[in-house]
Amino acid sequence: MSTTPLTSPSPILEAVGLTKSFSQDGEPTQALKGVSLSVAPGEFVSLVGRSGSGKSTMLSVLSTLLRPDAGTLAYKGQDLTTATEAEVNALRHGDFAVIFQFHYLLPYLTALENTLLPFMRGLRPVSAGQRQRALECLERVGLADKAHRLPGQLSGGEQQRVAIARALVKEARVLFADEPTGSLDSATGATVMELLGQLPQEGMSVVMVTHNEDYARLAGRMVRMEDGLVV
Amino acid sequence: MNILTIALRNARKKWVRTLLLLLVFTLGVVSIVALGFVSRVVGEGLEKKLVSYGANILVSPKSEKLTVSYGGFALGDMLFDVSYLDEASTVAKIDGIGLRQNISVIAPKLVVMDRVKDTAVAVVGVRFEQEKLLKGYWLVEQGEVPTRPEGLLVGSAAAAKLGLKLGDAVPLGKHSLVVAGILAPTGNEDDNVLLAHLATVQQATGRHGQANFVEVAALCSGCPIDDIVAQLATGLPGVEIKTLRNIVEQRMYSVHFVKRLILSVSLVILLTGCSMVGISMLSAVNERKKEIGILRSLGFSRQAVFSIFCAEAASIGLLAGVVGYVAGYAVSFRILAVLELAEGAVIAFEPLHLLATALVLALLTSLASLFPAWKAAAIEPSEALVTL
Repeated sequence: MSTTPLTSPSPILEAVGLTKSFSQDGEPTQALKGVSLSVAPGEFVSLVGRSGSGKSTMLSVLSTLLRPDAGTLAYKGQDLTTATEAEVNALRHGDFAVIFQFHYLLPYLTALENTLLPFMRGLRPVSAGQRQRALECLERVGLADKAHRLPGQLSGGEQQRVAIARALVKEARVLFADEPTGSLDSATGATVMELLGQLPQEGMSVVMVTHNEDYARLAGRMVRMEDGLVV
Repeated sequence: MNILTIALRNARKKWVRTLLLLLVFTLGVVSIVALGFVSRVVGEGLEKKLVSYGANILVSPKSEKLTVSYGGFALGDMLFDVSYLDEASTVAKIDGIGLRQNISVIAPKLVVMDRVKDTAVAVVGVRFEQEKLLKGYWLVEQGEVPTRPEGLLVGSAAAAKLGLKLGDAVPLGKHSLVVAGILAPTGNEDDNVLLAHLATVQQATGRHGQANFVEVAALCSGCPIDDIVAQLATGLPGVEIKTLRNIVEQRMYSVHFVKRLILSVSLVILLTGCSMVGISMLSAVNERKKEIGILRSLGFSRQAVFSIFCAEAASIGLLAGVVGYVAGYAVSFRILAVLELAEGAVIAFEPLHLLATALVLALLTSLASLFPAWKAAAIEPSEALVTL
């Protein structure tokens, strides 16, 4: 099993020798075959590769949505493969944010409420300060005037920008983006990429999976995957 | 805005499903509440009717008594050692039992024999205000129920036999009683006797403060008659206490029958509603896998996801409880009108019952959604998002 370490100075996120297998039609498929990757604070890393190369699986493992079969994943030095569910939940709620190709907003909440979703985990009402911050985040992504619209009343690009606002509102340290422009036209995709490109300048690390080589080149580092390995 | 907003907004978004569930539960609650109110009115009406048939507990002094009959011909009772009750202390002790609230009437009586126009007749000393409660079927054909101490109420057969009319004087010991009213036929012993104020009879016969027996009418809706008798026996040692079983058991049976009927119907309705909530929530879990994935990816714990589904079900139950109780209250009047029982019916709107109904419904719907909520909480974010 090959390991391809890619290092960066004082990484915030560090994966070493990650493996992950799935059962597909009864046949075991190894999606990750011992991948290593380091992400520095404020670094923009893009993962590219053909369909089935393992890049989305890699992103899911890095963002804790999937547990690896083997290998280690450390965030700020803490091993996440042995973390408790509560610790993982705290990380997803705080430092990690994920955006997906299909936006994934709750259809019955407005843009503002979707942005505030991370603060709606308990019975404690959202504070005026959190609400104000959400409005500022929506303004930042250019949607202040559409804060009270439902996702169905927004375009695809606008929905994606709400998802980015949701990542901004909780001041996440690492943003994982899975094909964030995959369902958008080129103009809207460019707007979203511009927005993502600004985030590392504010100290947020971004790990993005994309098929689009042009967008991938906007990242500080492009990592190519093939057949479950970094090449 | 908090976690409940997610549950409530989804319920609003899926308004057809929510409305349907709300309708089923509301109908269930309406049926239960309306049946409850109606059964209470019917039960109380039944009680009133049954109480009007007379007393159901008899308190008398212990005596050696032998009933003699031969060939179906009653020869009367052979009595030895006849004793009397102290009226005041006996009534006070009956009045002081723990289950006093279940006793509607305490009617002491003193029976003496008198001779009017050469005919022997029984004069019964009673407390007329208690007697009227005990014998709701009394109809005073002429005159009125005596109010003055010397007043006399004459049974229909006795009035005919003795030729008594209003204003006639009837001697009793050294006293002279005056006929104040004549009863219409009742079909029982009251037709053959003269009824006078208990104090007057006691004074005229020298039996001051004494009574032969005390009739007690107990309301038995939910009250154990055996417990009342036990409490009377404890308070009145050496006194004979008899229950008139047939009436008591009939009362208990009728009340229990109605209650059992309502309980059965209620259970069926609630089980149907709960099944609908369970099935509906289960299908919602599959529909909302993506949402669950988003929430989990945002750090919502399994408990948080679990509580969203439970809260959604509970909100339906809570609303159905409130709407159903109010509607059931209104519908019960209509049912009573259709059954021609509305006249004189008193249905009290009780806010505490409303609150209890809403809470019980919320609890039931939450319980019905436990399995779907557990299934939702068990969904892994990757599983939910990969399905897309």
